[in-house]
Amino acid sequence: MKLLSRRGSLRRRETAAGWLMTAPVIVLLLVFLVVPIAMAAWVSLSNWTGIGSPFSSDVSSVGLRNYQALLTQPGLPQQQLGESLRNNLYYVLFVVPVQTALALGLALAVSRKRLAGRGFFRTAYYFPSITSSVAVSIIFLYIFGSTGVVNALVGYLGAHGPNWFNDPSGVLQLAYSGLGVTQAPAALANHGFLGLPWWQWLAGPSVAMVAIIVLAVWTTSGTFMLIFLPAIYAIPSELEEAAIMDGANAWQRFWRVTFPMLKPALFLVLTLGLIATWQVFDQIYLMSQGNPAGTTLTPAYLAYVASFSDQQWGQGAAIAFILFAIIVALTVLQRLVLRDRGTVAGDRA
Amino acid sequence: MKGSRRLTTAVLAAAVLAFTAACSSGGGFGSPSSSDATATAKPNDKPLTLMFGSSGPAETKAVDAAAAAFTKQSGIKVQVIAASDLAQQVAQGFAGNEPPDVFYLDPLTFQNYAKDGVLDPYASTLSNASNFAPALKAAFAYQGQFVCAPKDASTLALYINTKDWQQAGLGAPPANWNQLESDAKKLTTGGRTGLVIDQDESGIDEFLYQDGGTVLSSTGKVELDSPQNVQALTYLKSMLDSGIMKFPSQLDAGFSGQAFGENKAAMDVIGNWENGELQTDYPNVKFKVYPLPAGPTGIHATLSFTNCWGVPKQSQNLAGALELVKFLTTTQQEMTFSNAFGVIPSLESAQSQYAAAYPQYATFVKELAYAHPDIAIAGATQALDAYSSALEQLANSNPATILSTAQQNLQAVVNSDK
Amino acid sequence: MSARPFFSRVSSGRVSSRRVSSRRVRRLAGRTLLYLVLAVCAVVYIYPFLLSIGTAFKTDPDAIAHPLNPIPSHWVLTAFTELEQQDFLLWLGNSVIVAVSVTAGRLLFDSMAGYALARLRFRGRGAVFSAIIAVMAVPSVVLLIPKFLVLKQLGIYNSYPGLIVPLMTDAAGVFIMRQFFLSVHPSIEEAAKIDGAGIFRTYWSVVLPMARPALITLTILAFQGSWNDFSDLLIAHQSPSLDTLTTGVGRLVSGQLGEATQYPLELAAAMAMTIPVAIVFFVFQRFIMRGPEGGVKE
Repeated sequence: MKLLSRRGSLRRRETAAGWLMTAPVIVLLLVFLVVPIAMAAWVSLSNWTGIGSPFSSDVSSVGLRNYQALLTQPGLPQQQLGESLRNNLYYVLFVVPVQTALALGLALAVSRKRLAGRGFFRTAYYFPSITSSVAVSIIFLYIFGSTGVVNALVGYLGAHGPNWFNDPSGVLQLAYSGLGVTQAPAALANHGFLGLPWWQWLAGPSVAMVAIIVLAVWTTSGTFMLIFLPAIYAIPSELEEAAIMDGANAWQRFWRVTFPMLKPALFLVLTLGLIATWQVFDQIYLMSQGNPAGTTLTPAYLAYVASFSDQQWGQGAAIAFILFAIIVALTVLQRLVLRDRGTVAGDRA
Repeated sequence: MKGSRRLTTAVLAAAVLAFTAACSSGGGFGSPSSSDATATAKPNDKPLTLMFGSSGPAETKAVDAAAAAFTKQSGIKVQVIAASDLAQQVAQGFAGNEPPDVFYLDPLTFQNYAKDGVLDPYASTLSNASNFAPALKAAFAYQGQFVCAPKDASTLALYINTKDWQQAGLGAPPANWNQLESDAKKLTTGGRTGLVIDQDESGIDEFLYQDGGTVLSSTGKVELDSPQNVQALTYLKSMLDSGIMKFPSQLDAGFSGQAFGENKAAMDVIGNWENGELQTDYPNVKFKVYPLPAGPTGIHATLSFTNCWGVPKQSQNLAGALELVKFLTTTQQEMTFSNAFGVIPSLESAQSQYAAAYPQYATFVKELAYAHPDIAIAGATQALDAYSSALEQLANSNPATILSTAQQNLQAVVNSDK
Repeated sequence: MSARPFFSRVSSGRVSSRRVSSRRVRRLAGRTLLYLVLAVCAVVYIYPFLLSIGTAFKTDPDAIAHPLNPIPSHWVLTAFTELEQQDFLLWLGNSVIVAVSVTAGRLLFDSMAGYALARLRFRGRGAVFSAIIAVMAVPSVVLLIPKFLVLKQLGIYNSYPGLIVPLMTDAAGVFIMRQFFLSVHPSIEEAAKIDGAGIFRTYWSVVLPMARPALITLTILAFQGSWNDFSDLLIAHQSPSLDTLTTGVGRLVSGQLGEATQYPLELAAAMAMTIPVAIVFFVFQRFIMRGPEGGVKE
C-alpha cells in the first residue's frame, strides 16, 4: 500500500515536471505557430484580399470554395495543383531515400575511430549546408548547363547530355520510349486525376527536376549527417565488442547492432526529410520558378505565387493545407511502418 | 490517454480562440481606417515612408538623395526603406494597416490593389498628368481612371552586335519581318545564332501586336486566340525550327541579354535594362539599338514596362505623400534619376531631354509612341506564368493550342473577378 | 580505442597467416578506396565554397566570363568596398545578437522538452509530441503574414524581442533532442534517481552533460538556422537599424533578384555571412566526438 502511493506520487511528480519542462516550448509554439496556423486556416475559408486583418468585418467566409476550385473544378488551379503534386511526389521519392542513405554513410565514415583527418571530412561534408543558397544556385546552374561540367563528364562517356534546366521531359517517360512505348496508351491518356492524365502522372521527374534533386541531396546530406552523429556516438562500445566476440562481420554488425540502435535517429531524419522535401520552395524560387513547362512547380511555390503575386490568399492557404494533410498522412504512415521504438528506451513512446 | 488528448486539444483550442478574439477587437487588427484626407488637405508633419526595391547602390543613393532634397524643401521627414523583398513588405503593410506612404508598384500588383480600392487615385490631379507617355498611363489605368504616376519607362528594341553585323556584310537594320528573318539567317554561323528573344510572354507578345493582333480588348476581354496571333507565333516557330532564332535556354543563358552579351546571338529583342548589363558584365561588346521591325502589314509595335509611385488611401499623411510624388515626378528630378542609374523618364518633357543627352538610346523613347503596356490582369500571375511556360515550348507545340489554352485560362481569371 | 586491438587479436588467433596477409591487402585496398571516395566527396562538397570566395574578389565581367574558375584573373576589392559603405557592422552585430540569443534559448527549451517527451511519463505526452510534429507540416510561406500580425498584436513588432522570441524554440530541435534521449540508455539517470535526486537536479547535472553530442549538433543547427534566416526576420521588423546580415544584404539588390549581375557583390556578402557559421561549425564539430560520459572517446 505504501509502495503504491509512493509510486503514485512519483507519477504525479513526473506529470508536473513533464508539463513544466515542455511549457516554454508549448507556449512559444502556440503563440508563434499554432495561432498563425489557425489564422491561415481561417484565411483558406475566406475571401480575404490581404487588406487589413483577416478578422475585420469586410472579410467573409466563402466556405470550402477555395478547396473546391483546387480539388474538384476543372481549370488552371486544379491542373497546376495536380502538376505540382506530381512534381513534388517524385522529388520526395528520390531525395528522401538518397539523402538519408548518404547522410548515414557519411556519418558512419567520419565517426570511424581510426580515420585520419576526420575533422576535415566532417567539416567538408557540412559545407554545402552552410553555403548561401544564392551561391549554390549559381553553381548548379553552371555545372548543369548544357556545356557545363556534368555534360562534359557525360560526353567523356560517349553520350550526349541534355539541356538540364530546360528539358521538361520526364525521365520515366524517356525510359518508356526507350522500351518502345512512345505513345500514351489511350486508357492512361484519356483518364486522369486532378486535371492531369495518368500518363502525365507516370512521367517521372523532369530532367530539370533531376538537377534540383541532385542539388537538394547535396545540400542537406551534411545536415542530416550531423543529426546521425550523436546517435552513433551514443552506441555503447561494449555492444560492438560483444558482436565482434561473436564473430560477426562488419556487415552483420551494422545490421544487427548499429542499425537497430539508430532507429530513433532514422525516424527523425526521415520525418524531417519528408516534411522539408514536401515543402521545397527556396530552390524553385531561386532557380526555376516552376519552369520548364511547369515541371518544377511545387505546391509551396504555388501557394506563394497565389498569395503574394495574385493576392488570392484564400487559395494560397488552401494549397498549404492540402499539402499539410498529405504530409501528416504520410508521417503517420511512416511512423506505423517504422514503429518509432527506441531499442534501449523500450516501448515508452 | 484518450481523455488527456482531448483535454490538450481543448486547451489549445481555447487559447487560439481567446487570441483570435483579442485580435479581432484589438487595435492592430481593426479594419482599415478610412482616411478623410484629400488631395487638397494640408500636409501634416507626420514623417513619410518611401519603400522601393533597389537595383543596386546607385539607385539607393539616388532615391535617398531625392528624399533628402524633398525634406529640405518641404520640412516633411521621409524614411527611405530599400525593401529586402518589396512584394512581401508592401503586402505586410496593407495587412497591418500601415502601408508605406509611397512605394514602387508594378502594373500586375497595381491591378490587384486597384481592384481592392486601396490606392489613392491621385494621378489625374497632377498638374503634369497629360505629360506622361500614353502607353505608361495605360498601364496604370483602372476602369478608365488614371490612378498612379509612372516613375520610369522601358521599351523593347532590337540590339545588334555591330561586329557580327559588319562581318556578315549587312547594311541597314531590318525594317520588317522578312528582313529580320533573312538577316538572322545571314548572321547565323556555327557557334552563333542570328536572333535571340526571351521566351516568356513579355518577350514575345510584341510580335502579336506587330501582326495586327491584340492581347486584351479595350473592354478587358482577352483576345489571344485570334488568327493574327496564331500567324505571329507560327512565324516565330518557323525561325526556331530553322535555327536562326533561339530562346536563351537553348543557348545556356538565363535571359536573352546574357546570350547577347556572350555573343551567342548577334541580335536580341530586349528592353533598355540590357544597357546596364552590357556595361558592367560585357564591356567589350559593341552594339547598336534599333526600333523593332514592322509586321507584314507595316504595323510598328513594341511592349512597354514601367512602375508607378503607389500611394495608399489610408496614408496618415496623404497630402504629404502626394507632395512627395509631385516632387519625384518633375522633369528635373526624373532626369536626375536617369543620370544616376540609367532609367528612362516617364514624362515626355524629360524624355526629350533624355534622348538629347543619350542619343544612342533615343530609340527607346521613339518607340514609346507605338508601345503597348505588357499585359496585366488582377490575379493573373499564375495564368500568365502558364502562358509563358507554354511559349517556352513553342518549338514542339502547336501555336493555336498555346493561344487557345492561354485564352481560356486568362478569360477564366477575368470572369472570376466579375 | 579498445575495439581495434581486440579485433586483431581475435582474428589472428583464428585464421591462418596466409589468409591474414591476403586480408591485409584487401583491407589496405579497402582503406585506400574509402579515402579516395571520401576525398572526392570532400572536393565536390567544398568546391562551391571556394568558388564563392574566389568570385567575391572578381570583377563583374570576370565573374560572368569564368564562372567555374575560383581564381580571379585579377583581384579586386570592389565588392567589399561596396559592402563596407553599408551598415555592415550593424548588420553583423544584430546577426550575432539574434543568433546567440536564439541558440541559447533553443538549447535550454528544446533539451528540456525533448527530455520530458522522451523520459517522463505524463498524461498528454503523446498529444504534445504529435502536435509538435504537426506544426512543422504546415508550409511556412502561408504563415508569414499571420506571424507578422501576431507580432504586431503582441506589441513586439520592430524590436529585438520580435526578432528573437519567435525563434527561441523550434519543433525540429525538440524532435532532435527527444530522439537522442530515446537512443541513450536510461541507466545513469536511474542511478541518480535512486540516489534521491529530483527530476530537475537529474536533468541539470546528469542528463545535460550526457547529452553533449546532441547539444553540440543542436548548437550548430540553431546558430546556422537563425544566422541564415531571412523570412522570419524580415516580417519582424521594418527599421533598418534592426537589419541582420540576411535582410540587410537583401536590401542591396532586391530590385533585380535572379538577374545575372553583381555576382561578386552577392557572393562577397554571402561569404561574409557564411564564414562566421563556418568558424562556429569548425570549433564545435570536434566536441561532437566526446562520448556520452563526457570523456574523450578517441
